[in-house]
Amino acid sequence: MGGAGMSAFLGVMAVLALGGLVLLGRSRREDRQTRLSYDRDRRIHCAVAAAFRPGELTARIFSREDRDYIRRTGSSALEILYLRERRKVASHWVRQVSEEVGWIMREHRLRSRQSANLSVIAESKLFFYYAELKLLCGLMLVLVRIFGPHALVDLAARAGELYQRIGRSLPDVLAALGSIEPSRNPAA
Amino acid sequence: MADGALFGPVQSARDDLERRTLSTIHGDLARLIYLASTRDYNSGAYHHEGLAARFGLDQAREALQTAHCNVFRRLVSLSLQGLVGELEAYVNTSRETPAGLIHAWRELEPYRVAVPMEMDSTTVQLFLSNIKLALEVLELRQQQRREGQPASSLQPLLGQ
Repeated sequence: MGGAGMSAFLGVMAVLALGGLVLLGRSRREDRQTRLSYDRDRRIHCAVAAAFRPGELTARIFSREDRDYIRRTGSSALEILYLRERRKVASHWVRQVSEEVGWIMREHRLRSRQSANLSVIAESKLFFYYAELKLLCGLMLVLVRIFGPHALVDLAARAGELYQRIGRSLPDVLAALGSIEPSRNPAA
Repeated sequence: MADGALFGPVQSARDDLERRTLSTIHGDLARLIYLASTRDYNSGAYHHEGLAARFGLDQAREALQTAHCNVFRRLVSLSLQGLVGELEAYVNTSRETPAGLIHAWRELEPYRVAVPMEMDSTTVQLFLSNIKLALEVLELRQQQRREGQPASSLQPLLGQ
């Protein structure tokens, strides 16, 4: 019975993650049509985001503290507005993480082709981190719409952790993507 | 040994900016608005006559840009309650009436031009969204004051 319950749960999660991945793909296509960012902007954004992402920003977006504060106002209109706004920001965060990790892995793939000493273990580990993060992003995109961002604090923390792990595994790629002077980096 | 000798002219320019100018401005939101006003709308380049004369054009530019990013990051890191406090302090020190300023900010969204160019889009989104919410909280307070609602309904908001 327990095994069947677990299978059902995993099945639902897989469907949600797949749905999320479809949403991610669709939003990426929409972004491509409207996005004005050039390569340089991408690199800068990526580097700045990577430097800032650890903890602080994620905690702010998914924080329950702000929700509780808004609840204390006693205004249901404000609460609705707050939830709508936070959903929007959280979804944007998920898309940005997913997109940035995509750039990082693409850059890594291009560099790997010219590398003579690739480690199978390290590459496999990296691939699993990447796959987990992508699935997590897909899942979060669906769950943010259903439950709101505040229910996803732990998932967001896990996504942030995976993003950092990938970044730490590929410092040369991050450096190449974020070739900006340290003084312009707000985290410096 | 002076700081300038240790960290170079940019650091000296930053220190000077902090000491002479930013420390005299009350609140990070007011500092953000001030720093954004030193940026040219067309080129995005920062300029401060006094700072440039003392430390050079590029050093002044970099000091202003760094300070702008730092103040922005501090504001984004604030809780919503903290940001409402910042906004309220800004409103109270403004020459406009609170109602007039809140109305203008809600309609024109002038805070959008106060965002540094170097920030990633999620950080910017969070900031804009939080300012929008903080304005709504202040508007609600104004409304409650106008309607003369009992202080108890304001208490949780004012208890910062």
